[in-house]
Amino acid sequence: MQIEQSERDGVVVLSTSGRFNMMSAPRVKTRIDETVAAGSARIVVDLSEVDFIDSSGLGALIGGLKTARQAGGDLRIAAAGEQVVTVLKLTNLDRILTPFDTVEDAIHEW
Amino acid sequence: MSGDSYVLHGFAVPEGVEALHDLLEQVGSEHPEVDSSDLMLFETAVIEIANNVVEHGRPLGKVQWRFSLDVLPGQLEAVLSDSGEAYPGDIDYVMPDELAESGRGLPLARAILDEIDYTRAGDANHWHLVRRRAASS
Repeated sequence: MQIEQSERDGVVVLSTSGRFNMMSAPRVKTRIDETVAAGSARIVVDLSEVDFIDSSGLGALIGGLKTARQAGGDLRIAAAGEQVVTVLKLTNLDRILTPFDTVEDAIHEW
Repeated sequence: MSGDSYVLHGFAVPEGVEALHDLLEQVGSEHPEVDSSDLMLFETAVIEIANNVVEHGRPLGKVQWRFSLDVLPGQLEAVLSDSGEAYPGDIDYVMPDELAESGRGLPLARAILDEIDYTRAGDANHWHLVRRRAASS
């Protein structure tokens, strides 16, 4: 999994790709923690290139959400594919990790 | 109409989980008639069970597994057998609190599968997983 980082309108966008699973989840969580520690607590995780997420990936997103909120910010997800959306619903996490259609929507509606 | 079978042997380690993903992708490409949502959900459940074996299987890193998958006219059916010590947990976990960072694997698999059974037999653990196909022929 690749993690690309950019910044738009004061929001850090982390773009991930491939399988967001037990292999890659710790790296994503570490990157979120580092981003928040560096002073950026408003984060959008772009999932447009993620074709699979498992419960480890969900755990990393929830952990990141908590880290961002504790720092006064938030974590949003954008452009989730069918598998990710389905898994969020089945785990009831769509209520706290509401997927935005696009990264732009996630940023503009902040 | 008979089914088509796939078998994979390996170690219950994260790289082994990647091999399972690859096998399920192969199933999808060789069986375009299988509803993509069914296969996607079945893969999700299989991977959660496999993750569980990787995380809880003892001795750590030395557990070997055998995965078999049958694409049948009415259902997708798999058995994941591993050489580890008996699984210590309960398979009847409920979905944890929204802010929990772990514990969703088995509840997620149970939400997807029509049948999920765990048995300990012959010094091995056996997970039997079934999802009935949406448009069975």
